[in-house]
Amino acid sequence: MEGEMPKVLLVDDEERFRVTTARLLGVRGFQVGTAGSGVEALEELERNPYDVVVLDVKMPGVSGIEALAEIKRRQPQVEVLILTGHASVDAAVEIMRLGGCEYLLKPCSMDELVEKIERALERKAMKEGSEEKP
Amino acid sequence: MDLVRILVVDDEEDFLETLVNRLNRRGMSAQGALSGREALKMMEEKEFDVVVLDVRMPGMDGLEVLREVKNRWPFVEVILLTGHGSVESGIEGMRLGAFDYVMKPADLEVLIEKIQQARERKILRES
Amino acid sequence: MLKSTIELARYGIPWLGPAMAFLGGLALLAEGKGQWPAIAVIFGSVLSAGGIYSLLRSLRKGEKERALLDVRMLQSHKLASLGELTAGIAHEINNPLAIIGREAEWLEHLLSTMPPAEGVPRKELLESVREVGVQVNRCREITQNLLSFARKMEPIFQKVDVNRLVEDMVKLVETETQGKGIEIVRDYQQPMEPIMTDPPGLRQVMLNLLNNARQAIEGRGQITIRTRALEDGRVQIAVEDTGCGIPREHLPRIFDPFFTTKAHGKGTGLGLSICHGIVDRLGGRIWVRSEPGLGSTFVVELPATPKRAS
Repeated sequence: MEGEMPKVLLVDDEERFRVTTARLLGVRGFQVGTAGSGVEALEELERNPYDVVVLDVKMPGVSGIEALAEIKRRQPQVEVLILTGHASVDAAVEIMRLGGCEYLLKPCSMDELVEKIERALERKAMKEGSEEKP
Repeated sequence: MDLVRILVVDDEEDFLETLVNRLNRRGMSAQGALSGREALKMMEEKEFDVVVLDVRMPGMDGLEVLREVKNRWPFVEVILLTGHGSVESGIEGMRLGAFDYVMKPADLEVLIEKIQQARERKILRES
Repeated sequence: MLKSTIELARYGIPWLGPAMAFLGGLALLAEGKGQWPAIAVIFGSVLSAGGIYSLLRSLRKGEKERALLDVRMLQSHKLASLGELTAGIAHEINNPLAIIGREAEWLEHLLSTMPPAEGVPRKELLESVREVGVQVNRCREITQNLLSFARKMEPIFQKVDVNRLVEDMVKLVETETQGKGIEIVRDYQQPMEPIMTDPPGLRQVMLNLLNNARQAIEGRGQITIRTRALEDGRVQIAVEDTGCGIPREHLPRIFDPFFTTKAHGKGTGLGLSICHGIVDRLGGRIWVRSEPGLGSTFVVELPATPKRAS
């Protein structure tokens, strides 16, 4: 496994944010895929394996949260990191209920984002380690 | 009922140690952090019910920590502790979602009662 | 606090646009080629920031005008929509802000990895682009403040000893009135049955009322705090001051958001409207009696148990 670049799927409907963030994540040593919507994200996850999904959840709207629930259902091994411009308690509560993902408020610096992604990778590795034991 | 999981955050080491010990002796599960950053790190690793937070700390001050805690863990209840009562920071703290604003030195019994009320609130909210 | 936030936003957001346009030019220079997408992004950011700024302004202006026709019953609707609007604005700003921040980081990366070139003041470019990051952070703090103001706090009803809760807040305010000629008189009804209400909400209301009473008194004076249980279990908490009082023409507007008679920079104009919103959610009422020159009395009345919870 070592030496392989961790795979991150970036889901955001703001194209420019997606493109530039993907470039910067690339510079930091991640292999990055992007998707412009929840549906696109689910399709991309079917096609290619990912370690971490960075998902923008809009206003307490359903689409992002629904996508999150669906990702968790289909691919429980993938770590999801929520990125949002909206600090709504209701949304946060809903997100916690759906599987205790990490939560990051927009705007955030690349340092903050990378730190969260790395922690998500650690969590994933830990989970896999404990599952492999008989 | 599970033990109340408390995180006490204060930059005064003696005060912190004493309070953590006393809370643990009273059948609670308390841990201490010497700074806001340390506290946030601990919260990422472990779940807490109630955070007892000193308002005045060097580095990240109490209100900043409170804001971060409420943004990231909206269920966690925060009790602010303050050396000298400041009405302005009290108003600001309550506005940011603190459960209570308590002046130091807080009587242990009073503090425990407030912690229990805060924990009850967390349970009510989660249910 | 909020007012200063809005002030910051007023001054902060307009220059963000021009600054970005300038830096956009730098970006093109650094990359050495014309890039329409970059220009589009920059103009987009400028326009959205400008739009949000004017929205904020018209919001304030509109609030003032409408307040003249204010009807008491509209108060809670108004507060609710103000909260939603504020959250909406903050959210709308956060997205372009995220893009601006990201673009600045990308520029910084490009600048720091490109080979030194004749006539390109790389150090200054880097410094300048980092400043964009700093200012984005500043805007982020503003929007997060706005969001935390707008955040609706669902009340959680718990058993509360009103006298104790009130006394906790009175003690806090007393630390600031001591030695300043302001006497605090407690008139609590004892004993008093506990009520079901939201403790942090009630604390917030009490702190605001006590703080207002303190600020209404210039020189010497008295603040009296009274608690009473009515026969049907309702509870009244009165905060009475011997301060300057409220002019009759201000009374209908006293719970309006951004309405303040305090000196510029001293009051946010939000304290009482926040109180009104909280008391509303607790199923209670708040009102004021005031005599200019003699003082004001704010009364909060709360039900023993909220109507919705059975």
